[in-house]
Formats: sequence, C-alpha cells, structure tokens
Amino acid sequence: MARPLDPLGFEDEMCPVCKSRKYLNPDIVFVFNPECYHSMCLNCANRLFNDGPNQCPHAGCNKTLRRKGFRSAFFGDLSVEREVDIRRRVAAVFNQKEDDFETLQDYNNYLQMVEDLTFELVNGTDEKRRQAEAQLAAWEAEHKQDIERNKKAGREADEMSRKRLAAERDAARQRRIEAIKEAEEEKRERVRSREMELDNLAKGITATTAAEPATKVQLKRRGQRGGVTEPAVPNPAAAATAGMGASEVERLSIRGLKEKPKAPAPQGPYDPFGGMDFAPSRYKLHGGLAHPLMEKYRLDRQHVAGGYSFDDFAARALYEAFAGLGVFVEDEKEVGSGSGIGLSQETTMAAGIAAVGDPDRMDLD
Amino acid sequence: MEFNIDDLPVLFPYPRIYPEQYAYMVDLKKTLDAGGNCVLEMPSGTGKTVTLLSLIVAYQQYYPEHRKLIYCSRTMSEIEKALVELRALMKFRAERLGREEEFRGLGLTSRKNLCLHPSVKREKSGTIVDARCRSLTAGFVKEKREKGENVETCIYHDNLDLLEQGNLIPNGIWTLDGLLRYGEEKKQCPYFTARRMMQYCNVIIYSYHYLLDPKIAERVSKDLSKDCIVVFDEAHNIDNVCIESLSTDITQDSLMRATRGAQNLEAKIAEMKDSDQEKLQSEYEKLVEGLKGLDEGRQEDAFMANPTLPDDLLKEAVPGNIRRAEHFVAFLRRFIEYLKTRMKVRQVISETPPSFLAHLKEYTFIEKKPLRFCAERLTSLVRTLELTNIEDYRPLQEVATFATLVATYEKGFLLILEPYESDTAKTPNPVLHFTCLDAAIAIKPVFDRFSSVIITSGTISPLEMYPKMLNFETVVQESYAMTLARRSFLPMIVTRGSDQASISTSFQVRNEPSVVRNYGNLLTEFARMTPDGMVVFFPSYLYMESIISMWQGMGILDEVWKHKLILVETPDAQETSLALETYRTACCNGRGAVLLCVARGKVSEGIDFDHQYGRTVLCIGVPFQYTESRILKARLEFLRETYRIRENDFLSFDAMRHAAQCLGRVLRGKDDYGVMVLADRRFMKKRAQLPKWINQALLDANTNLSTDMAVGNARAFLKQMAQPFSSKDQEGVSIWGMKDLRRHQEKMAEDLIVELKTAREEEERERKRREEEERRRLEEERDRVSDYEMDEDDEAEMMALDARIG
Repeated sequence: MARPLDPLGFEDEMCPVCKSRKYLNPDIVFVFNPECYHSMCLNCANRLFNDGPNQCPHAGCNKTLRRKGFRSAFFGDLSVEREVDIRRRVAAVFNQKEDDFETLQDYNNYLQMVEDLTFELVNGTDEKRRQAEAQLAAWEAEHKQDIERNKKAGREADEMSRKRLAAERDAARQRRIEAIKEAEEEKRERVRSREMELDNLAKGITATTAAEPATKVQLKRRGQRGGVTEPAVPNPAAAATAGMGASEVERLSIRGLKEKPKAPAPQGPYDPFGGMDFAPSRYKLHGGLAHPLMEKYRLDRQHVAGGYSFDDFAARALYEAFAGLGVFVEDEKEVGSGSGIGLSQETTMAAGIAAVGDPDRMDLD
Repeated sequence: MEFNIDDLPVLFPYPRIYPEQYAYMVDLKKTLDAGGNCVLEMPSGTGKTVTLLSLIVAYQQYYPEHRKLIYCSRTMSEIEKALVELRALMKFRAERLGREEEFRGLGLTSRKNLCLHPSVKREKSGTIVDARCRSLTAGFVKEKREKGENVETCIYHDNLDLLEQGNLIPNGIWTLDGLLRYGEEKKQCPYFTARRMMQYCNVIIYSYHYLLDPKIAERVSKDLSKDCIVVFDEAHNIDNVCIESLSTDITQDSLMRATRGAQNLEAKIAEMKDSDQEKLQSEYEKLVEGLKGLDEGRQEDAFMANPTLPDDLLKEAVPGNIRRAEHFVAFLRRFIEYLKTRMKVRQVISETPPSFLAHLKEYTFIEKKPLRFCAERLTSLVRTLELTNIEDYRPLQEVATFATLVATYEKGFLLILEPYESDTAKTPNPVLHFTCLDAAIAIKPVFDRFSSVIITSGTISPLEMYPKMLNFETVVQESYAMTLARRSFLPMIVTRGSDQASISTSFQVRNEPSVVRNYGNLLTEFARMTPDGMVVFFPSYLYMESIISMWQGMGILDEVWKHKLILVETPDAQETSLALETYRTACCNGRGAVLLCVARGKVSEGIDFDHQYGRTVLCIGVPFQYTESRILKARLEFLRETYRIRENDFLSFDAMRHAAQCLGRVLRGKDDYGVMVLADRRFMKKRAQLPKWINQALLDANTNLSTDMAVGNARAFLKQMAQPFSSKDQEGVSIWGMKDLRRHQEKMAEDLIVELKTAREEEERERKRREEEERRRLEEERDRVSDYEMDEDDEAEMMALDARIG
C-alpha cells in the first residue's frame, strides 16, 4: 500500500503512449477523453486523433474517440474526475431542495437514495449501472417540471450568493481604502501640527499655550475614533500622581506656579449706559399700531413731511403708559409732592388712549 | 496569617502579606460575589498564585456552594509549582483549623508525563504515547478480552475498574510527582485516575489547552459544572493560544497521508462488510437517529476529538449522503482530491470560507451540510471499525476537522494558500493555512459556560485590549502598582548611543554600522558593570544572528568576553537548555554570563532570572512581529473590521507585551533587584503601554537617555542596591504584618464611611438644590400669574376709557 512519497509532491506522471515523463518534459500536458478516462499527453492526442476518430491506444480499450472530446483534468485522480462527471449529470436531475420535503428524515432518505444511485453509477457492475441509468432516466421523465423549476431557483440562488460575495468584497475593500486614507490624514495632521508648533515657537508664542490646542485636537480625533488603545495611563504626569513618585508630584506643582495670569477678556465697544437695558420688559411693541384718531394724520402731508414717525409716537405713548407701573403711589406720597401723582395719572390716560384702538394686538407678558 | 475580607475569613499561609496581594484579594472577591469576569494585572514576583489560591479556597470552603476551581496555567513546571503552593496552603489551613478539610486537588497533564506502563512510557514522542495508550485502554479492547480474545491491555488501567468510582484516590492535594508515586504504589494509572476524578475534585490544575482547544476540551472538560471558577494564569498570550487551537495547516504531504488513510478505511470497510455486517448496520441505524445517540457512547477513551460543534448540529441527524460508510469514504476522497488540485496553483490565494465552499460545490458537488458533519462522522466510523493504530489516521482527521470548521464558521476564518515557502524560493512547497482570525471563537464556550472567568498575568497591559479581543465583559479590571520600600528596579529607556546618534532596530537602519556599534557599546558597558548574570533580548533570531556576526567583526564580542561568558539561545530546545545550564553555573560561580536570546523565544516566557541569574535585562529593539506574514496581515485586517482595533495599535500592543514579559523576567520578588533597559528610539512613544508597575517606576529622568547617561544611572543604582537592606525596613511599607493590615482595613472602612457620608451629603445638597429650584419655579409662576391679573385689571380700565372716548 505504501508508495514512496514524491519529494516534490507530485507523482511522476508518464504518458502511456509515448512514455515521456513530466520529469524530462516539464511542459507536458495530459488530456483524457470522458469516453473511457484514459489519459495521454497532448502531443499524442493530437497525433492520433487529428485525422478523425480513432481507437483508444490503451491496451484492452476499444472505445472510438474523437479529438473534440479530449480535455485536461481538474483532478489528479481520473477516477474522481469520472465520479464528478457522473455527479454533474445526477445533480442536474436530482436537484430537490430540503424545503421540498416535509421532514428532515425524508430529505435524508432522498439524499441517501441519490447517493446510492450515484455510487452504483460510479462503482457498480455493468448490470447495476444499467439499472441505475434507467432509474435516472425514469426520474427525469417523471419530474421534468420540478427539475426545471429547481434548476431555475438554483441558478438564481447562485447568482444571489455570488452578488452578495462580490458586494461584501467591495465593501471590505472600500473600508480598507478609507482606513488607509484616515491613517494618512492623521499622519499629515500630525506633521502639520508639529510644524505649526515650531512656527509658533519661532514667532515667540510660548510652548505651553502653543502646544495645547494641538494636543487637544489630537485627543479629540482619537476620541472620535473610539480610542482603541488609549494607553492605560494617559500621560506620565497622571501616572505619577496615581502612583507615588514624590518628585513627580513636586514638579507638577511647579508647573502650576508657572502658569501665566490670564489675559483680560476682550473689550466690546463703549457703552455710555453701563450695560443698562432699555428694552421694554412689560410689553412688546408691534409695528404699525393703528388707531382711528391717528389715521387721518397718517395721511396728512403736513404731519408726515417733517419725518414724523407714528411708530415713535406709539412707542412713546406705551412707554409713558407703563412708566409708572413700578411706582407705588402710597409710598411716594410720604416723601414726595403732589405733582408725581398727577403725572402718573396722565400717563395712564395716555396709555389708555393709545391702546384702545386695538387691545388685542397689545402683547402683554 | 488570618484575616477577614468583608465576612469571608481568609487563611494566608505566610505571616506577612504584600499590600497588592490584599488589594488583589479584595477585587477577586468582588468578582466572585458578582459572578462575572475580570482582568487583573499584578506585578511578577509578588505571589500571585498563592494569593489567588488562598482566596479562592477560602471562598470555596466558606460558602455553601463549594464552587470548583479550574486553574489553567501554561507550562508543566508552572502547574507543578501551583500544586506545591496549594499543598502548602492546605497544610497551613489544616494546622490552623485543627482538622483536615474534605478537599481534593489534582493536576492533569499529558499521558506522556503520567504514564507508568513499562514499555509505553519509554516512548519519546507524546503522540506515540497517546496512540499506544489508546490501543491498550480502549473500550472495545476490554470487550474483546472479556470475550476471551488474546489482546494486550494495560494492567495499570485495568486496575482502576476494580476501585470504587469517584474515590480512586484519597483526599488531599496531589502533585504530579505525588500522583505518579501513588500510582506506582497502588498499580493504578495516574493519568486516568486524574481524568476520572476531575468531577470529584475541588481544585483542578491543568494546561490551557484542556479548556481552550475544542478538540480536547470537549472530552476532558465536559462534565465541569457551570458555577466553576475558571482562572487563566499567565494569560497575556491567551489570544494566540485561542487562535492556534482552531487553526490548521494542510500540506501536500499530509494530503497524501490522508489519501492513504482513506484507502485504508475503504479496505477496512470492505473487510468488515464481509465479516461483521451487523456492526455497520447498527452504526447506520444510529446515524439515522442523529449524532446525539452517539454522543452517549462517547467516553474518555474516544479516539479522535472534534472541534466544537454547535448544539443544534448534535441534535440533527447526519445527512443522508454520508450515512453509509462507503459513501462517506468516497466523499472524503473527493474532498481530498479537490484540495490536492487547489494546491497545484502557483500563486498566493486568500479566500473566505463562503467563497471556498462555493468553488468546492461547483467542482465536486459537495454541499456545505455534509461537510459540517465530517469530523463527527469520521469519529463514529473509526469507533465502529475498532481501529487501534490511530496515528495513521491523524492526517485524515486533520482534513475532516478542517472540513467541519470551514463549513461551520463563515466569519473569523481565512484560507491562505502559500505555494512557496518564501518569496525567493523556486521549488514549490504549498501550504494551505486555515487560520482562525478571531480569538473570541475558541474562548466563547468558556465564557458562555462558566460564570466567573479570571484572566490574570504579570504583564497584561493595556487591560482593555483583552475584553475587546476576546469579546467579553468584565466586572473588575485592575492593574496593581508595586509597593516598594526602596526602588529595587531601575527601568530606563535608552534612545541614543554615546555619540548621540539615535538607536533603533527599525528596518531601515538596523544594519547600519553606527547603530550596530552603538548597541555593541551599550552591551559592553553593561557587561562591564553588571554583577553576575545579564540577559539580552533581540526582536528576532534573524536579527540576532546578523548583529552578532557584525559585532564579532567589530571586536565587540571580544570586549564583552573579558567580563562575561557569552551564551546564545537557538531555536533548538536542547541546545538552549544546555546554554541555560551553563549560564546558571557561570552566574553562581562568579564568572558572570550574558545570555543573548530572542523576545518571542522560549527563554522570554517562563524562565525566571531571579537574583544573581539576572541583574540586567537589555531589550534591544521593539519586538514587533514579522509584519510581512500573510496570516498576520489577515488578522490585522480582521481586527480592524470587526473590533475596530487599528493595525498599528495592535502591533504596538503586541510588541509591548512581549517587551514587558522580557523585562519581567529579571525581577522575581521584592528582595530581588535589577536594571531594565529598553534600547530603542521608538520606546519613548510606547511608554504608556508598559504595565503600570513598570511605568510607575520609570521616572522621566530615566527616559530618553544616551548610553553613557544610562550607564551612570545604573552605576549609582547598583551602588545603592549594594547597601545593606534588612527586611525590617520593608515592614509596614511593602510588607504588611497583622497590625498594618488591620490599620489598612480600618482606614478602608473609614474611607468607605467618609465616602458614604460625602455621598449622602452630596445627595442632601442635591435634594436641597432641587427643592430650592422647585420653590423658585413655583414662585416665578405665581409672579407671572399675578402679572396677568394686574394686566387684566388694566385692560378693563382701558376698555372703560375706550368706551368713554367712543
């Protein structure tokens, strides 16, 4: 049983017709004809069969072969090649799916039946083979429609899976390209930030202030990526405080001292009122306040010509109307004169007059 | 000493305890209470094993569940060490408690180490021992003998059957040696004693593979209950173990042997068909029922092991087209022929399992489903045929395993066909690598089955990488610092030579004379200064060879020779062990020696250089993996796609864990001391990836050094270390007696109280703030309401006015 192992991993094949070997002629190509599965080299096949059909040169084989039928083998073992050819034929006929059966048991029995039949076709005696052949033909005739249907479905499924595989491959490639791009981008960014840092140093901006944004950007980027290997100890200084390196702690406090006083906040334009807000708080002004009393003046040229604004009038009226609301007359009385009261009464009146036209439009809050 | 953690009384077999040991125990207990997983990093040489064992044993004995402990370690010597520790612990407990506890602890290792059979144990190779043992102990061999046939059996194994099952060995802790001695005395097989007693043990100590390798795990570790506590010690390499256990390489040679195996099977089947038709028939009937029926018959002596199958597969019946033995063999032959054809291709191919299956189906009409059952079907067939010379069928089994895996897993695996050994090779030597890319697949059953899995090592930084790669969640992730009364180790990063030129082993500059010379100077300087032993690690054998020959040319080795003996590690294990022996002798007798070895070799893992055996460890270059390997590339890509781990992050993580392993070799305890030198420019950036305990001792002043500065620092350090130092100085700082421990516990309790208090105050404040807010909101609302009222009044008044005007 034990054959010597071929050091190259190939059994040295020999053409049985011209006796040339792979060892002597490395380019030799073997072909066979599925009629009888006897192999020979391509040269011999051409020589023997180019002039039309001829008998197989193997001793004891009296099949008539044609040049057209010759092909090279996929498998090294021609018996397997033959088996696969038979299987191809069987599989084309017996192509039921598991879904076609009611139970798994039935399906398994079916599979075994097919396998038995195939086995007979491959290894059986002539008698058995003929029987099996007949069975195959009978089944084909019987289940023609099913076979057609399953064939189509099988093709579609194959197509689908092929498409899916291709799509997955494409997606993987895309992701890989993106990852590479990202890595490059990051590298560029690092170089740029380093250059910026150097520039800043050259311009005289101190290292601490200049370095900060760069590291921040880097940290942010890493955070966005989901920071895979954020080091267990983010920076040496933190590690030292976590541990007990006394000198480290000391140095840290020195750094704290060095910190520069913060620059004053940027100044805005000069505000004469010192930040006091004159926007009305108790009411809101809507433009285009209308009042029948005002309408006729609005159209009067004499009034409008000088640039008189009716909105200003309304604003002023409203302002005056609300101006006294925060003032409590009773308290005022004790201190002040009577004129205050009169004024407040007048403003309420004015507000009333201004507002009556369209009380709905006055938005109180 | 004896103390309590929360309510759990712990007996610790030493009078003193390290602070980090205590912290470790507290975290461990937290994990066990919560019933989750954890990743713990504790500095090497701080008594990790004894800490683990004493806490877990205390936990087992105190709580009524008596959860079993499965302790997995890497090498046989580590297993033996753990067993000795456990025995000491149990002795201490017995003394303290005044009684022997019902307790059994066993170690398990391969047949080769535990065999007593007079002729089998003389075999050199482990696989042959396994095969011969099986042929003597298999179930049907016994049956045959009972039928009166004359077959050889093993007396040691047969004696086991005479004993009461479940009580093959008395209580106590059995080291491997002890087990062998007991076996010899009672004439019983130590290996099967251990195997059969596993269910009745409180502690099992064995190698990773018994749990991780699905081919073995299923047989050995099947009956362990769910609440077991699983510990993986020295687990920094666990992802590689997982991956290796699921990967296979198929060569032309193994295919050839597989074909022969298939032919043999065919012949055997034909033979059996003539003689014993019923047997095949009964197997066939069982297969119709499904694999589950077969499963019951599976025993410890099962011949071949199968990769993990999903449960639904076991329940399902074997597909009809491989039910008959002859069909199955034809099926296998077809598959093997297909693989042979694929191997003829002369270009590199890498493809995913689905695409492989599609191609396979197109050319051989082999469907995915029967392929999945391949391994299981082969096992069943081999059992039916009662084959004993299993060795002959190993390649066939490999192919069947491959078939099952390729059909079971769509993701996480890749097929890579490499027709040539190297890029320059002319003669083809094709290898089909079926590589597992996902470490999580092999370890998933472990996490699924056991509630508490503890992963621990001396160097397992960065901690968060492991949960990510192995795809599990942790309750506790902790890295402990090393408390030291004096700085007993000096880590340094040397980035420049004495001439200020930067040194690095990066590919572009590694062979430049200036770099080589600078490394050589570093070596000579440290060789001159270091007392006794010194270990040097290189990134690869290749680089080590080239740099040593260049040093020879520059006369650097002659210089080193003046101070130290030079010894070199080789890939050959025996040569290396000889070198190690010589090294130890030289270190002990004062000659001193330098051991040049490789960062991923045998020496870097598992061999300790304590005390005089290692005073300096010099790590030349960052030990990156060989990045041109296609398998590594595929894995990197997978990690990026699946777990979002970037290539560079992983490579750098992997390099640094090996570097840390190398550094850890030299410091094996608190009274030990040593210098650790990382010599590469690139270490500066990777500093944060070192374990916490090393990083903490690495001062900024000791980074970015040039050779002469490093030498100066090291000299000062060694001088300081030479001062007398009694263990008294350590007490209270790095070693705790009972008093210190109690003080610490009180402080912790106080801290806890303070914490709770502040938390409560915080809460109170928060509550007040919220109340205040609520109040203010209500007030505001009220204000607004009153505003409205006033306005409405106004409005009414205005309306009145309006009416008057109108």
